Amino acid sequence: MRAARIVLVVLGVLVIAFGATVLVTTVRPNRIWGLATWLLGAVVLHDVVLSPFVVGVGLLLRRAGRSLRAWVLVVVQSAVVLGSVLALVVVPEIAAKAHGQKNPTVLPFDYTTRLLVVEGVLLAVVVVALVVGVVRARRTPPLVASTTNQ
Amino acid sequence: MLRRLLLDARAAMASPNRNARSAVVWGRLLGVAFLVCFVTGVYSHLLQDPLPGMRFPTRPVQLYQFTQGLHITAGIAIIPLLLAKLNAVMPALAQVPPVRGVLHLLERLSIAVLVASALVQVATGLVNTYQWYPWPFPFRQVHNALAYVIIGSIVLHVGVQLRIIARYWRARDSYDAEGRFVVDPSVGSELLPPTGREAHPTAGASAAAVPTVGPYPRGLTGRVLRWVDGPAAPASGAQEAAPDAAPTGDGPSADATDAGRASRPSTEATTGRRELVARRGFVAGVTAATVGVVALTAGQSNRLLEPLNVFGARQRHVGPNALPVNRTARAAGVLASATAADWTLTVVGPDVTRSFSRAELVALGTDTAELPISCVEGWSQMASWRGVRMRDLLAAVQADPASSLRITSLERSGGYRVTEMGPEYAADPTTLVALEVNGATLDLDHGFPARVIAPGRPGVLQTKWIGKIEVIR
Repeated sequence: MRAARIVLVVLGVLVIAFGATVLVTTVRPNRIWGLATWLLGAVVLHDVVLSPFVVGVGLLLRRAGRSLRAWVLVVVQSAVVLGSVLALVVVPEIAAKAHGQKNPTVLPFDYTTRLLVVEGVLLAVVVVALVVGVVRARRTPPLVASTTNQ
Repeated sequence: MLRRLLLDARAAMASPNRNARSAVVWGRLLGVAFLVCFVTGVYSHLLQDPLPGMRFPTRPVQLYQFTQGLHITAGIAIIPLLLAKLNAVMPALAQVPPVRGVLHLLERLSIAVLVASALVQVATGLVNTYQWYPWPFPFRQVHNALAYVIIGSIVLHVGVQLRIIARYWRARDSYDAEGRFVVDPSVGSELLPPTGREAHPTAGASAAAVPTVGPYPRGLTGRVLRWVDGPAAPASGAQEAAPDAAPTGDGPSADATDAGRASRPSTEATTGRRELVARRGFVAGVTAATVGVVALTAGQSNRLLEPLNVFGARQRHVGPNALPVNRTARAAGVLASATAADWTLTVVGPDVTRSFSRAELVALGTDTAELPISCVEGWSQMASWRGVRMRDLLAAVQADPASSLRITSLERSGGYRVTEMGPEYAADPTTLVALEVNGATLDLDHGFPARVIAPGRPGVLQTKWIGKIEVIR
């Protein structure tokens, strides 16, 4: 274990050093500063914006979980995660298209409409799951209590 | 003050999905995805900038279409996996104390390098496939250098965390019979649920904690967490009345700090079930996101997923000659030179130099080849090309078919105006100086009057609007 760890750490440091060498030999210094600001910005974005946001959404889902059945919550949560990731991928695509295509075969679709349609479908799935979950829970209230208190 | 803040943050982050086991699970998948991207990326880089004497396989002809499609698809799959992994290890961000010594500081810095490089690499890589470059650095060189930084950082990270990885590699070593995460302080994870030694004895770790002790942090955080978990009451008899207790399978963060419930009768089973549902819910969410985002974009490089191509940056069969275009004739500045009536292709052999008009090229005898056009940006499409075999053209100037070539385009400028072709491609019977594609004359945007098409090479090396071919050795 100890030997393996030492080998991995040394190898990792060497590969990082090679990457740094490639960087300084192929990219001009003023451009490296540009990259540094982006790297720093990524860490700040993750630590200050993304993480608190995810914690907040998680807490809200946990709050919702008090009155929802497990399967409903799983459906809702999967839709939220998929919807968020699709937005992360497609919103830059919309921005890129707004910025200008080099030719009509690049970004050929109307991504705004498509994203709205897909997010709308996900929203519909969430609503259906919530409605079905609530209706079922009302019909069989004792079942819920008994299963969970076993 | 800082300590208080960090401990509050840790309490808010506590979740069955944020422990050493989930870090190992998502880390493994992410590691594989990054490795796939690294290997396919280095292959693509070497194809474009070969080391001296390097030769490449020309069969299967779709090799590059496959490796680069995989590169982009795995890169897109990394987005949800990376977010899942960052979510799993989030409590390490608020570890107390923030720095324990020089080694620990170095380790945290190396993590910062890994996280920053991975985020920048994936984000710029994605936006690059949209042909938008809103950053103050050259994409290709930085993408190449960061790839090594990321892979090195991952190897370093695995070395640093190896004891934890080994300890929590298998599910059966990670959970007890009730399905609860097994805390093993001996391996030194920063993600383990807070134990009694930390200021806030939150549940999870010590399920048998005395229920009357306030398990939540004081102040606002505690109040928020209490609101989240509801009136779970120190009075243990009250639970019967709470029908809410459906196991909360939730997600990006869930409910390990359910302190009130930890005091419930049959605590182990309830906690175990709740943790299990929360974990499965999170896995379901990330799986849905990964499968979804890949399925809706991979149609640009995969025939089977073509009908599902909702968000791909390209659509197959869209464009002149039913083929997408990267660089147009207008962008390349060849509108006049490529349509000039006196265009000729000059072929420079070791001893003989000849110029061919389009009619003279056709007179050499044409052949067809089914070859894909495969872009570094990931999109690709099979096409049927017709033109003169490169080896026949070389024979016409008495050159060895297995020669290295320098091919010059009519383009005024651009990084790929002049490209080189190794002898393995020049001699290949499917390598053509193409004059037609998909049964029609090459469109001006596809390289009229003549372009190169060879098996297994990136699209940028399939030079369009060629003016000169030289044998260089």
